[in-house]
Amino acid sequence: MAGAENQSGRHHNDRDTQDIRQRLDALEGKLEAARVRHAPPPERESRGRAMGQALRLATELVAGVVVGGFIGWALDGLFGTKPFLMLVFLLLGAAAGILNVIRTAKQMQAEAPVPKNLKPVDDDDDD
Amino acid sequence: MISTAYAADDGHGGGGGLPDPMHQFEIKRLFELELFGFDASFTNSALFMVIAICLITLFTVFAMRRGSLVPTRLQSVAEISYEFVASMVRDNVGTDGMKYFPFVFTLFMFVLVLNMLGMIPYTFTVTSHIIVTFALAAFIFLGVTLIGFWKHGVKFLKFFVPDGVPFVMLPLLVVIEVISYLTRPLSLSVRLFANMMAGHTMLKVFGAFVVALGFLGGWAALAFMVAFTGLEILVAFLQAYVFAILTCIYLNDALHMHH
Repeated sequence: MAGAENQSGRHHNDRDTQDIRQRLDALEGKLEAARVRHAPPPERESRGRAMGQALRLATELVAGVVVGGFIGWALDGLFGTKPFLMLVFLLLGAAAGILNVIRTAKQMQAEAPVPKNLKPVDDDDDD
Repeated sequence: MISTAYAADDGHGGGGGLPDPMHQFEIKRLFELELFGFDASFTNSALFMVIAICLITLFTVFAMRRGSLVPTRLQSVAEISYEFVASMVRDNVGTDGMKYFPFVFTLFMFVLVLNMLGMIPYTFTVTSHIIVTFALAAFIFLGVTLIGFWKHGVKFLKFFVPDGVPFVMLPLLVVIEVISYLTRPLSLSVRLFANMMAGHTMLKVFGAFVVALGFLGGWAALAFMVAFTGLEILVAFLQAYVFAILTCIYLNDALHMHH
């Protein structure tokens, strides 16, 4: 299917593609370097996300106690057993809150990408 | 410098000293209206909900008016938002959950636009009121629970019975599970409301600092405000996303009954 000229042409082509590939690779490397240089520090966004997650866990916990307390208070009003049912349900609500927190945390852990370079935290104070 | 702070006070209510950061959340009646003994006045909150709905409707209708194969910029935005919510529903609820897509899409766009409208100065942030977010969350909660009972009948109650638990522990755990289920509307609404209110209060407080510290010291507070506004826009989007995705998760629980 190929004559001698074709063969050499193909050879030539191969060299060309190799050349292009090499240049592409070099460009890729430069691009990556530029990207790294210009990328905004992930600090702010990840911090915003972490704050959101922390707030989410906190609301789960508090919501459990509040809802439990409210149910107890309402049942107390119904049965006239002030304040015992409220005390019991406050505790149950706290348990429900903790259950919710554990569930949410598990779900967050499943979703979160594994951090690439974990290093010990030395500067933990807020700026 | 103090006098400028007092001057700012005139426009923003509040008693003494710095302007009141909570003034921005005040509900004002635009038209007085009473229906069946209820105060159903058209407030600034209602006005911004109407604006949000009009904006969303105009945006989607206008962006898709041609529906060309090669989308224009606006059309791509509409398509991206559609795809975004569609994949959220598909990933979290599954393909049989796609019939609830219109609801989730409406909800997401509504909350997102309300949050974003609140980022424009002099606007009112509807989602910074817990009664609004709670009404949304309670509606979702009731709807999802009804869907659960409608799909599974009485078997939906099994959702509250954890697997592999000794018989003696069951009464206690079922009560805890029920309370845990009932906390959903509260945590869903408090999360959105607290984020929006805290962010806007912070912005207002630091805005007051800019004025109070004057020309020399105000720049630091101003720089913080600029950075914080960026963060607030992120939060506004993220909270709308969280609201929608939790709705999806609750729907999934109701349709497929597993934690």
